Amino acid sequence: MASEPELTTQIVLKRDIPWETYMTAKVINSTGLQLLRRYDRRPDNVQAALLDENGVSYVRVFVGILRDITKEDTVEYMLALIDDMLSANPKRARLFHDKALSSEDIYGPFLRLLAKKKWFIQETSCKVLTLIISARPSEDQVSEEHGSSSNGSQKQLSDNFDKTLSGVVDWLCTQLKNPSHPSRAIPTAVSSLATLFREYKVRALFVEARGVRSLVPLISPASKQEHIQLLYEATLSVWLLTFYDPATQAMADTRISSQLVEVVKSSTKEKVVRVALLSLKNLVKKDIFAHQLVACGMPKVIQNVRLQAWHDEDLLSALDELEGTLRDSVKELNSWDRYKQEVCSGNLDWTPVHKDQGFWRENIKKFEDNDYEVLRILIAVLENSRDPKTLAVACSDISQFIQNHPTGRGIISDLKAKSPVMRLMSNPDPDVAREALLCVQKILLSPKYVSFMQ
Amino acid sequence: MLFLVKAQKGNREPIFSSAHCPNSLSATLSAAEDPFLLHLPIDLRTSRERYILPLWWYYRLAKMNDADVSKQVQQMVHFIRQEAEEKANEIAVSAEEEFNIEKLQLVEAEKKKIRQEYERKEKLVEVRKKIDYSTQLNASRLKVLQAQDDLVRNMKAAAEERLISVSHDHDNYRKLLRALIVQGLSRLREPSVQLRCRERDVRFVEDVLEEAKEEYARKANVDIPGVYVDHEKFLPGPPEKGEPGPFCTGGVVLASKDGRIVCENTLDARLEIAFKQNLPEIRKQLFGLSSHA
Repeated sequence: MASEPELTTQIVLKRDIPWETYMTAKVINSTGLQLLRRYDRRPDNVQAALLDENGVSYVRVFVGILRDITKEDTVEYMLALIDDMLSANPKRARLFHDKALSSEDIYGPFLRLLAKKKWFIQETSCKVLTLIISARPSEDQVSEEHGSSSNGSQKQLSDNFDKTLSGVVDWLCTQLKNPSHPSRAIPTAVSSLATLFREYKVRALFVEARGVRSLVPLISPASKQEHIQLLYEATLSVWLLTFYDPATQAMADTRISSQLVEVVKSSTKEKVVRVALLSLKNLVKKDIFAHQLVACGMPKVIQNVRLQAWHDEDLLSALDELEGTLRDSVKELNSWDRYKQEVCSGNLDWTPVHKDQGFWRENIKKFEDNDYEVLRILIAVLENSRDPKTLAVACSDISQFIQNHPTGRGIISDLKAKSPVMRLMSNPDPDVAREALLCVQKILLSPKYVSFMQ
Repeated sequence: MLFLVKAQKGNREPIFSSAHCPNSLSATLSAAEDPFLLHLPIDLRTSRERYILPLWWYYRLAKMNDADVSKQVQQMVHFIRQEAEEKANEIAVSAEEEFNIEKLQLVEAEKKKIRQEYERKEKLVEVRKKIDYSTQLNASRLKVLQAQDDLVRNMKAAAEERLISVSHDHDNYRKLLRALIVQGLSRLREPSVQLRCRERDVRFVEDVLEEAKEEYARKANVDIPGVYVDHEKFLPGPPEKGEPGPFCTGGVVLASKDGRIVCENTLDARLEIAFKQNLPEIRKQLFGLSSHA
């Protein structure tokens, strides 16, 4: 239906709905009709006054119509009316949670409408539902108001709420994976998530529904206006998720760190950089991410960000904290024990330790412990491992050892490392071959010639 | 509404040409689009400071007509408000999360304190229990020892009772007296000795005295000693029930002439010595070998 102009609330509100016919069909009662006539198509200030006076009854009528009437035009109109009402003053969402409505299902109609085919209905229902959910009073307030009256109904209310939450989260996850609308679905979904994630249960539901994988790709540098807002809201959602441990675990095997770093490097909008840094600050507390971040060259990025002279105090304090935590993690990651652990596990990787000259200089003597235990293990790894990355790293480690240790060459030759390394020079993987070659170079040539070759 | 210019890094001088717009602005400054609004490096500071817009924005406004100006200003207001709301939301979120973390830490700390408190109390109770146990143990040990002691004492008392009847068998008593006198003399090794006995035993003693003296002289290879039997002072009589005071169940007491060296060979003294010497054996026989004896 690409030829039809997109529906917006404003367009829909121009329609004229014959409320009288519904009364004769006994779908609305006379009070309802009266309220509608008083409210409908009036200027904003009149509507505001009516709502201030008796907002709850209007809300009851609106929800009732959505529940009982199925004609598309009317449903759209009613949704548009509610959307308009809430956009003008979001605090009105609290009316939905008024005690007088506690016996009614305020969420049901909207949840049902999420499943309709028409995008306008889906989008507006989502918006409205999000606002209603976020206006829900906290648990303490709820029990205060309802007092000791029937714990049963309270349980029912909270069950209903939980059901609503999982319904909404499912819909949002689906939208992220298969958007119902090419350009508007994802922004709507992300916007909704950014608001809903303040509710802890939503975070849990989202992670369980495996939504994290769909959310993360949205974090990429943006330049166009709509994309910037989307990026901001996506990053905000991610930040909210980083407070929840299972979410950070789910994020560990995505490329979230490098994406966030890209965003920080390239964004011009302060708010985007701010939330990205806040997310990074939370993530860096976990080792996996600290590791990834160092690999992305985070320290350099931090310096650059400082040069950009942002003024927001929250941004700057997040930056400072990030820097501090990163430095501590790096120090720990570079420790000798970690290195030894890695070597003993037999699976070597390009962790920052291997290239950091400081590490080598400080810990070179420790290689001698236990009759060169670590070196022997390293050589054993060289002979036995099949993994190209491990082999490459092992070769480079041996080169580093020779470079930094005064009698490295002699020791390595004694330990009979030359033959395995030479064998590896003909390994099919180019990295392995290169590292092996460099290593052989260092073994064979005396130091002064090596520096000449470099 | 008053907007002021901030001396921002790229904006130090008044700019009147759109070509000098800061780098962060895109080139899309055509009037048709308004994304320029959203590329403005606007600083939203606290409400004490004022919202700051670059000078060239005013320049653009100045070139527009009234309707457009009001639209632009509306948009700017909307934009600033949205930014402010977003920032406020972030602050609220940060506050809530920090509160939660803080609360959790406090709860954990208090829980730990309570746990430690109860561990301490438990320890106290344990210690008290141990003390009570060992007190009880000691008390019962003492009781056992006391009972053992009583038993032994009773036994001794019974022996003392029997001792009384020894002196009733006159023949054997005489023989006993003789042996006692000989033993006493052997111990003293004095040529002249005093002898004291009970009043009722005097005739027995005189009966056997000569034999005893001779036996001693023979055994010790000395002259027959002079034994002077004291007829004035006597050893006390046998014990009477209910009568406290000194008593003697039999036997003799020998002393050197000057009275300095005394050999008590009464039956009571002998019982006492025998008792003391055999106490370990007595206990072993009565109670068996016990660990805390």
